[in-house]
Amino acid sequence: MPRHIKIGLIVLVIGFGVSFGFFVDVIGRIQSMVNEREIEENPFTPPAQPLYEATDPPMSVKIFFPGGSDDALLTTEEQTIFKSADVTNRAKQVLQKLLEGPHSEKLYPSLPEGTKLQDLFVSEQGIAFIDFSNTIAVNHPGGVLNEMATIYSIVDSLGYNLPEIKQVKILIGGTEKETLAGHCLLLLPFQMDLSMTDVMPHEEKTAAFSGPPSAKP
Amino acid sequence: MSTKRIVLLVAALGAALFIFGRPSRAADGNFPIYFEGAKLVVKAQTTNRTLYLPVIEIIEFMGLPYTDSLALETLTIRSGNSRLVVTKNSGLISINDQIVFLPSPILRENDHWLAPIDFLSRGLTRMTRTEFRYRPGTSRIFAGVVQVPELVMNAQSLGSITRLTIRCGVPVDLKLRRDEQNNRAILMVGRAVDPLRERLDHKDRLVRSISFDDSDGDPKILIDLTNQVADIKLNSTDGNRIFFVDLLRKGETITEAPVPAETPGASPKVDPTQAARRVRVIVIDPGHGGMDTGTKSPTVLEKDLTLSLARKLRTALQMRLGATVLLTRDSDIAMDNEARSAVANNNQANLFVSLHAGYSSNKLDSGSSVYMMKEDFGDGFATAAVSRDRLFLPWYLGYRLNQQASARAAKILQDELIKAISGSRFPIRTAPLAVLSSATMPSLLLEVGNLNNTVNASTLTDDGFQKRLVGAIADAIRIFSETEQRSAN
Repeated sequence: MPRHIKIGLIVLVIGFGVSFGFFVDVIGRIQSMVNEREIEENPFTPPAQPLYEATDPPMSVKIFFPGGSDDALLTTEEQTIFKSADVTNRAKQVLQKLLEGPHSEKLYPSLPEGTKLQDLFVSEQGIAFIDFSNTIAVNHPGGVLNEMATIYSIVDSLGYNLPEIKQVKILIGGTEKETLAGHCLLLLPFQMDLSMTDVMPHEEKTAAFSGPPSAKP
Repeated sequence: MSTKRIVLLVAALGAALFIFGRPSRAADGNFPIYFEGAKLVVKAQTTNRTLYLPVIEIIEFMGLPYTDSLALETLTIRSGNSRLVVTKNSGLISINDQIVFLPSPILRENDHWLAPIDFLSRGLTRMTRTEFRYRPGTSRIFAGVVQVPELVMNAQSLGSITRLTIRCGVPVDLKLRRDEQNNRAILMVGRAVDPLRERLDHKDRLVRSISFDDSDGDPKILIDLTNQVADIKLNSTDGNRIFFVDLLRKGETITEAPVPAETPGASPKVDPTQAARRVRVIVIDPGHGGMDTGTKSPTVLEKDLTLSLARKLRTALQMRLGATVLLTRDSDIAMDNEARSAVANNNQANLFVSLHAGYSSNKLDSGSSVYMMKEDFGDGFATAAVSRDRLFLPWYLGYRLNQQASARAAKILQDELIKAISGSRFPIRTAPLAVLSSATMPSLLLEVGNLNNTVNASTLTDDGFQKRLVGAIADAIRIFSETEQRSAN
């Protein structure tokens, strides 16, 4: 075969090779953008520390779940955690109970299926920063009242049982999000609000709950 | 053999073009710049997704001397003692020897200097003190101290007629001209205006499209008509601030806009001029949209349900109150919460109502509620801001201006809903709602039903139920506007 044909063919093959590589790269990028998912497991996460010591005494807590009563959005269920020295560990135990869901059949889970607690810390000012996995937003079925139930089950369960926690700031997927499912603003920390629950505040119930969801639309 | 060489060369060139070639130019169009007492129409072009304007035409119009240096590939513009130098293919410009960055480079194509739109505000404004105002997505610029009123267009089908409502902040002299050849109606506005929307989504048996056009420097509204239009009537009210353009179908006689059959309940006809003074602008927000479907049942998505309710409510309100009713979205598009309340704020709405559908884990619940913004939301932040003598509060505390009026509106809405839908309670609740937080007028959110309850979901999609619901909301808004007017007097 003449030399110039060989060179021409080589140029052609290289050209097609480069364009094919470019094409594959573009397709890969598009797919990675479409399939961008949260990393479930961080390989660098240190082994989980126990949330309580064997010597820690048991502690009775009230966990708030939706349902159970016509007069309140959230109803409490008595559960037991261990009184660890660190408030962060106690808060994690409370949230663990919330994630596990209620024992009573009259109550409903407040957190969507697949929600994971990624991190939690309590600041010196008593603000609990809780980082949930993206699934709390992605799997949330929506609805304003339902979103309120999710948020205030977390805020009230922590605030009622752990007086050290004054406010709760919810993060999703490690970042600050505007809302959980399009309604309730997450930009500012939440304060405990028992007006929509079946328990009185530790002092005096201040605002009466305005009523249950109606029977018909 | 030479043929083979040519084929190979062409193939290699094709491959190179495929790899390195990028479409660089997208669109060209006319772009008016409104100065005080004068206007200039320039040809804008989009290159690499940036809008470019011809520099020489603009500075010549502004009367600025310049030197175009071919050898140095620079353009020097002077104004008094100030000097501005731009260089070909560079995003850096020099103003009195200070360097300013532009997001895109200055171009020189076919002996024409082209500058990105930011050149006006970052370059010319600093040199000449002439302010340039440009809203992204529009195709016009307002320069200097020229005061431009907003123009709001709204269209609705009312049985055999189609009504286009036009509102302008100042009195305007609207002139109607019918172009039989192109089958379109042209409304000459006669002065520079800033349209809120360039194009309406409205399309029916009489109208193919409604758009604003000032590409030739003469602001006008173009209504593309179908063959069924017999006559067009133009009426004005509120001292030539509000105009109604009624298109009549062939075979009908014009008397007045009939009450559409779908208007819920018996609606008393209200003089639009009188009613407009009470509650002039109402913004309805159909919750969710686009990728954000909201909650759902097997048969209906929240975003579709809220849009259907909002459109019905718009018709009902326009007929009963004659007020301008705007929807935050009139199609299936995604919007963030701030943009929704911004529609209400920017249009100086007197009432903002957001519509949503509910979901409860308990399938037996129906969860209908009237929501207001939580009273103490952001308390800590507001107190801290005031104690530090801050002049400005965060935008999401805007709701604090009208909490009492929101509570009055909520009570009226609750009463009307209970009256209209027997067996329902519609409790008033408060929640830290993102969509209401930055609304600076009385604002409410109505959540209806439980889409987890199949019976409830089918009730919500029922046309009769929707009419009753919308009728109750429209009644509540009418009563609210009347009580507000009384308390204002």
